[in-house]
Amino acid sequence: MSNHDQNAHRPVKRNEMSRRQFLSYTLGGATAFMAAGVALPMVRFAVDPILKKKSGSTLIKVVEESKVTNEPQEFKFKIHQIDGWYVSDPEQTAWIRKDEQGKYYALSPVCKHLGCTIGWNTEKNNEYVCPCHGAHYTIEGKALSVAPKPLDEYELEVKEGWIYLGPIKENTRV
Amino acid sequence: MLKNVYNWIDERLDITPLWRDVADHEVPEHVNPAHHFSAFVYCFGGLTFFITVIQILSGMFLTMYFVPDILNAYKSVDYLQHKVAFGGIVRGMHHWGASLVLVMMFLHTLRVFFTGSYKAPREMNWVVGMLIFFIMLGLGFTGYLLPWDNKAYFATKVGMQIADAVPYVGPYIKQLLQGGDIIGAETLTRFFAIHVFFLPGALLALLGAHFIMIRRQGISGPL
Amino acid sequence: MAHGHKSNEKVIYVGDSRVKKPKSVGSDTIPPDYTAFPGKSEAFIPNFLLKEWMVGCVALVGFLVLTIAEPAPLGYPADPTNAAFIPMPDWYFLFMYQFLKYPYASGDYVAFGILGVPGIAFAALLLAPFLDTGKERRFYRRPIASALMLLSLFSLFYLTKVSWDHYEHELEITNTIPEHHVREEKAREAWEEAQANGGVPVEEAVIPIVDEDDPVMEIVKANCVGCHATDLKGNESANVPALRGVGDDHTKEELVEIVTNGLGGGRMPAFGENLSAEQIDQLATWLAKQKKAE
Repeated sequence: MSNHDQNAHRPVKRNEMSRRQFLSYTLGGATAFMAAGVALPMVRFAVDPILKKKSGSTLIKVVEESKVTNEPQEFKFKIHQIDGWYVSDPEQTAWIRKDEQGKYYALSPVCKHLGCTIGWNTEKNNEYVCPCHGAHYTIEGKALSVAPKPLDEYELEVKEGWIYLGPIKENTRV
Repeated sequence: MLKNVYNWIDERLDITPLWRDVADHEVPEHVNPAHHFSAFVYCFGGLTFFITVIQILSGMFLTMYFVPDILNAYKSVDYLQHKVAFGGIVRGMHHWGASLVLVMMFLHTLRVFFTGSYKAPREMNWVVGMLIFFIMLGLGFTGYLLPWDNKAYFATKVGMQIADAVPYVGPYIKQLLQGGDIIGAETLTRFFAIHVFFLPGALLALLGAHFIMIRRQGISGPL
Repeated sequence: MAHGHKSNEKVIYVGDSRVKKPKSVGSDTIPPDYTAFPGKSEAFIPNFLLKEWMVGCVALVGFLVLTIAEPAPLGYPADPTNAAFIPMPDWYFLFMYQFLKYPYASGDYVAFGILGVPGIAFAALLLAPFLDTGKERRFYRRPIASALMLLSLFSLFYLTKVSWDHYEHELEITNTIPEHHVREEKAREAWEEAQANGGVPVEEAVIPIVDEDDPVMEIVKANCVGCHATDLKGNESANVPALRGVGDDHTKEELVEIVTNGLGGGRMPAFGENLSAEQIDQLATWLAKQKKAE
């Protein structure tokens, strides 16, 4: 409330004025203290999700190295997900392939257009195709039509002949 | 700048009298603890309101995490209290605030009673105040079930048995509150709705009436 | 300032629309005054509210200290089959809870107990201004109203106290620790263990039941699960031990002895009369097999 502005109009004696102003400031301070005391814990409580430390990325064993070919193949794996008070192991899909240099990469099957699930070579043209709005991607995940961005990639590591996948990141290949 | 905005609004809506009435009304000496220390008994009404505000705010924040379902209510309360930063404090505020608001309201009621402030012309305000008291008790009762731990469950069971024992209408009251034959999923959602929407709605309306009547009638005079 | 029905004083409602406000000092509303009251009055904002909020600040600090010092209790998830739990309403309903235990407020008289006394008391409280209509406001000048209020207050405090004492007594004789304390204690122990373990929480493995298909399960189902729970995990809050892993704590001979003669002054009943020696032997053999799988 703009007390002071209003009081400024009033022709009151000067010393009276300063006392009133002092009281107003003290009242403002007390108000701020009480509001902060009540609101701070609650606000911290509400914004906790953005301040929570992200749990370190865990890599999940997906498939033996030898099974991955130059042709992209679909592999399913389970991640351990803790969603508040729900603990679940949802299944995820990755399209894994070995490129010409023998490097592995795994693409996420979520179309970057509107989030449908893409498939490999469904139109027999060696492209990833989204059935919803006809988005097309190259074998590297580069968007050819409709979609604004290339397909996302999984973080990937090869250890002792096995391929491990981590969290999703932006495509680094195109 | 702010002053201009204020003036612009004031020109159109004439809001100054609204808050000037609240801000500038004179408060008599006999309720002022600075003049008579014993006048602190007049603070309990204000404290009740302050804690009610805390209750409303902390309750709003708690619903960000709480799920009114028998499988997840306990888990979500457990999660928000132990895994979310300041969750223990926020739930503590709501839990202890519930007790404190009743204590403050009790003291406020006693002050009004023993100073005879409920007498004419303030009868209606007393009745509204008592209704607020009953609503607060209802909020306490319905809120107690929500964490869905043993204490909540069995206390509600006792409450339901009391409701059941009311002659003639008892079984119907019980059935209506439970939403079924047992205390279970339907009871929990019902209690949640009553606790979060129905009773607070009624409470706000009654509080508004309480305050408007206080402003219109002024505080009761000295004894 | 008593305003009775036939008050011949002129009643001045502060802020009353019927009281004409002098329109002199520009748009500035003249604050309604309390000239009817003697003494020094002061403006609500900032003078009076500041004093009120000093009290508010003290109350708030006290309140926050309470919430930090004493976490809100949370027991174990509701289990309708838990027979050992002593139900208690929240403290502000205890007086009612206690009142309904008395002979003329329960059983055949329960209608009277619920509607009679509390119903009349609450209705009287609600309608107090219409029952106590005299002009007099001082409590010592209206003895009936004050006496009734004091009597009700006394009974409120008395009933609450009796109820609480009864609960404490019940806890003592059944040797029960309220489960929110048990839970808090466990959480603290787990935390300390985790700290000692270098910050890694120790997950308590569920001990499996060994030989679940054994025919002796029939005896267990008929006699044991009532107290030791259908999953044989016992009942922590009532201090009933789990039967899972019981073989780690007792030998077969000890188990025969416990089942036959009971334990803890009847807390574990004696089954020597209900079961044959052969049955007890089978049971103890099976129980002795209940060891942690390691």
